[in-house]
Amino acid sequence: MATFDVGDGRTLEIDEDGFIQDPTQWDEKVAEALAKTEGVDEMTEEHWKLVRYLNDYYHKYGVAPMIRKLCKETGFKLNKVYQLFPSGPAKGACKVAGLPKPTGCV
Amino acid sequence: MSVQVKSHKVKVMEELLAKKLTRQVVASLVGCVHCGMCHESCHYVLTNPDDPTYTPSYKADQLRKIFKANHDWTGRVFPWWVKASTPMTDDDLEALKDIAFGKCTNCRRCTFNCPMGVDTATLNRITRGLLSAVGVMPEGVRVVSKDQWEIGNQMGVLKEDYLDTLEWMSEELEDELGHDRAAIPVDKKGAKVVYAINPREVKYDPRTIKNAALIFYAAGEDWTMTTEGWDQTNFGLFSGDDQLGGICGKRVYEKVAEIGAERLVISECGHGFRSTRCEAPNWAGVDVGFIMESSVITMLRYVKEGRIKVDKTRNSRRVTFHDSCNNARSCGFYEEPRELLRLVATDFQEMYPNRAENYCCTGGGGAMSMSEYTPRRLKSAKLKADQIAATGAEVVVTSCHNCVDGLNDLIKHYGLKCEVKQLVDLVAEALVLEEPVVEEKPAPIEVVEPAARPAEKAAALAGRRILVVDDEEDVRTFLTAVLEDAGATILPAKDGDEALAVAMREKPDIITLDLSMPGKDGVEAFVEFRKSPETENIPICIVTGHPEFRKVIYDRPVPPPEGYMDKPVQEEKLVDNLRRILELKDRKG
Repeated sequence: MATFDVGDGRTLEIDEDGFIQDPTQWDEKVAEALAKTEGVDEMTEEHWKLVRYLNDYYHKYGVAPMIRKLCKETGFKLNKVYQLFPSGPAKGACKVAGLPKPTGCV
Repeated sequence: MSVQVKSHKVKVMEELLAKKLTRQVVASLVGCVHCGMCHESCHYVLTNPDDPTYTPSYKADQLRKIFKANHDWTGRVFPWWVKASTPMTDDDLEALKDIAFGKCTNCRRCTFNCPMGVDTATLNRITRGLLSAVGVMPEGVRVVSKDQWEIGNQMGVLKEDYLDTLEWMSEELEDELGHDRAAIPVDKKGAKVVYAINPREVKYDPRTIKNAALIFYAAGEDWTMTTEGWDQTNFGLFSGDDQLGGICGKRVYEKVAEIGAERLVISECGHGFRSTRCEAPNWAGVDVGFIMESSVITMLRYVKEGRIKVDKTRNSRRVTFHDSCNNARSCGFYEEPRELLRLVATDFQEMYPNRAENYCCTGGGGAMSMSEYTPRRLKSAKLKADQIAATGAEVVVTSCHNCVDGLNDLIKHYGLKCEVKQLVDLVAEALVLEEPVVEEKPAPIEVVEPAARPAEKAAALAGRRILVVDDEEDVRTFLTAVLEDAGATILPAKDGDEALAVAMREKPDIITLDLSMPGKDGVEAFVEFRKSPETENIPICIVTGHPEFRKVIYDRPVPPPEGYMDKPVQEEKLVDNLRRILELKDRKG
């Protein structure tokens, strides 16, 4: 299992695709560090809105939300999500939000 | 010393193997002569030259050993000689899993390069199937297979969410077009076309659904999506579980039959197309009474029949095309996407090798769902990254969702400056909407016709100047007579050098080119024609007695010939082909 250095002395376990293994270890510092691996140098308010929604949803339902729900609840247009996270909602936003890697052909 | 006993799982696997031994499978099991040709064809071997466990023959030998121990008399008589053995413990099965799932993407490139016709990927799929049957498989494959069994699609998308997303895309289209006529029809009885997709589209990126809907609308198609049986993907192909494979296919087929559609259109997904179109009818043991086609064919048909208009200048960035292994190698489907791409983009550059010889995206065979092997995948992706970088393309186009994700991963990993798109995105971008388009009668331009009637034949090539290149005088005389009868003026040449000189001087409308000639042969001449700015736009129809040269010609780093005919040529077919090539060129300008 690979590890990930948060930058504040903590080292977290991640899977081979860079998703953290224990969702309870996730916090804002972790999100900021993960964002850098996704080409997002600065987390803006819009990034946070999206990431917080994903994290809340995952803790409530145990899965990643449909992109439809994400856009409806946050008010972002589909293309905006891709602007915020160039790797897209599944691999980019979900990773920063501390979710495990989505299953299937992604 | 204690005697080692076979684990229960191993016994179950051995019983199952007996049921999978078709003639083709046995031929592949016994046909390997360990010559090493497959080694050079595998992207894993090429990027791990010092690790023999990646070689296709080694991977296939894992199944071969079990076969020999159980079914082949040589294995019973001299097991030590033919290396017959079976796994014994569950740990052995874990090691087998690591090879079957983690060291092969079942891309079948080795199969194409095997002189004995051994289908190593099929053997690897059987190994996966045996392992899956006893529950030994990567966690990712297990989860996805479970969702496909239980929820009916590989991402566990619920019906309400799916319908909500289709409605959302319909609303987006309404916003863009200012009317609701492009809304996505759902469960429309009697529709002519049913469109099936990859769940990835609805769960994470429905832009491709919207683009497809826009194209169907523009073509005036009578189409529908369905509330059930809409997932055309099939993890049975990846896990080797034929039963799951059959169920996935059957769900789609039953829905199309219920709608009463004459055609199932499968969105751009390589393994989904192969499974649904080619494999699942056999897995399910059913006859399918409607046409099944890739949406690439559908879109190409729309453009060629004039049902949609496209403006290729809207896609002016340099594009290259990545062939999905399932489309190109398993379904022989690689010219159509290129034809379509050339119609919707201005700057298309082939990557090399290409078509059936293309390298895997490294995400094939379900590899995207198996995180544990990601480092191996990305290491082997170096080959693909170099291939893409050499094209200088800003956009990699591919007709496979798995490839989209595999390519995105390696582009990020190797820091390439390009993005991945599908043909549906480029066609939608190039689409010129004309109102009203609904109910417009299609105006077919050209369908292959039976032999041209004499009266039409005379005018078929009227006024055309044709350079006929062939070293045999008899053939030149024959071609000249046929083409002159069709109204053309002939410029003869007997070898490559003469052909180039005549072409420079006379600027013919089209060239028929023999390949095997003394002096400068046709292959060299072909490349020179393509490279010279004065002749690069002259269409070329190869006319050769060597059909096996096709690969040599198509592998050249220049645009492929407009036509390729095998000798002996039929008169009508020759005239008809040249006429069509010329008309196509006239239309393109």
